[in-house]
Amino acid sequence: MENPVDKNNPVYKNQDYGQYRELLYSYDKDGNFNKTVGFHGEPDRVVLQQAWDLFAERIEEARQKVLAGKASPIVYYMEKILTDPMNLSMMSGVSLWKLKLHCRPAFFKRLNEKTLAKYAEAFNISVDQLKKIE
Amino acid sequence: MSDKPILINYTHRQAGHCESGATSNLFNFYGVKMSEPMAFGIGTGIYFSYLPFLKLMFAPMMSFRNLPNTVFRRSMKYLGVDATVIKKFSSVKESMDVLDRNLEKGIPTGVQVGVFNLTFFPPEYRQHYNMHNMVVYGKEGNIYHISDTVMENPQVLTYDDLVRVRWAKGAFAPKGKMYWINNIPKELDIKSAVSKGIQKSVYEMIKVPFWLVGVKGIRVMARDIKKWPKKHGNDKASFYLGQILRMAEDFGTGGAGFRYIFGAFLKECGETYNNAEFMESADMMGKTANKWREFTYIGARNCKNRSKPTEDYNMLGDMMLEIAGMEEQVYRKIEKIKF
Repeated sequence: MENPVDKNNPVYKNQDYGQYRELLYSYDKDGNFNKTVGFHGEPDRVVLQQAWDLFAERIEEARQKVLAGKASPIVYYMEKILTDPMNLSMMSGVSLWKLKLHCRPAFFKRLNEKTLAKYAEAFNISVDQLKKIE
Repeated sequence: MSDKPILINYTHRQAGHCESGATSNLFNFYGVKMSEPMAFGIGTGIYFSYLPFLKLMFAPMMSFRNLPNTVFRRSMKYLGVDATVIKKFSSVKESMDVLDRNLEKGIPTGVQVGVFNLTFFPPEYRQHYNMHNMVVYGKEGNIYHISDTVMENPQVLTYDDLVRVRWAKGAFAPKGKMYWINNIPKELDIKSAVSKGIQKSVYEMIKVPFWLVGVKGIRVMARDIKKWPKKHGNDKASFYLGQILRMAEDFGTGGAGFRYIFGAFLKECGETYNNAEFMESADMMGKTANKWREFTYIGARNCKNRSKPTEDYNMLGDMMLEIAGMEEQVYRKIEKIKF
């Protein structure tokens, strides 16, 4: 998946943003429920922008941690697909306490190919990509 | 299996809610005129639950809709329609073969999918949310024709993409769940189905003996909103508030967390059965939905200036309590209507 998080191209300016029209209901003073097909309003954009800002922050934080050698690449890729350890453990089939150990570089180095393949499948990348981060 | 292209004559109509839209489109395919609000009301789509101990995208989880497949299952049961729901498959290949066989027979088939890898979905809406529904109605080579009621136009997906979304992993994993209608009886007893649907909705919104479900859940959330800034700090409080707004307004809800659709359902009942009480309760529901939208507009201001909230969280909490009171009145009223 292409991540829409890009500092120069936030959701506001995302070209696809305006192309998604949703069916919205509304209730007017005369007591009619109206259906309109339209773009999202200002509040929706604000909350979306807020969420994506937070995700971008978390991804950058994780990246710095991995580059400094304080965490394993699993932490970075986990943030990149916007998930938490609990969900990732369900997605990859690795139990939660093991996953938390694998987030440390020392344990990550000792992983065998089988477990690495499990993670790679969950992240939808190759095993070689998993071992390093861009 | 032949490679002849199949395209069932299925009409795609956009709808506010993915599952009730799919259900009403399937009914229309078999010649029964049923609007989206009607399918939503009979299938008891309206719901509220607040689960602060579970986290979805790093914020407390809340849901304005019922569990996946409830709308389809209940509307079929209450109307007495012969339908099949396959909850899960043991293998990927089997799930796709059953789908292919259905398409060859000319049956449009609904599938439950995860949103994160759905290629035609706008990227900013792709989250780990596995309760989306869409209908498959055609196949050409390895391209499948998809009617996703949240989108304006019909879409296509390749075989591999469809497998990936149908077998999305994580919480509420779909495991290839699919459903279709076999046979519709000639005379449908819509009146009793409406009555059953309303009684079930009322039960789920005000009578479930659990404090996080229904109107009680809204009240608990309202009290929690007041505590957030002290407990978590302004930044996190505004993100948690943003989660409520995202769940209520974005993501194919038709606005205000499905309250508008339920109001439209009550109004349609009032017009069909010529009942003034239904019209009154529809008016109350419409006003409640407008209040939800007002809450969104005011809350969004807090999300914009994260560290310096312009609106008071106590005021937002009180507003939510008022909404809960308004909703409860509607359910107490429609519970007693005889028609």
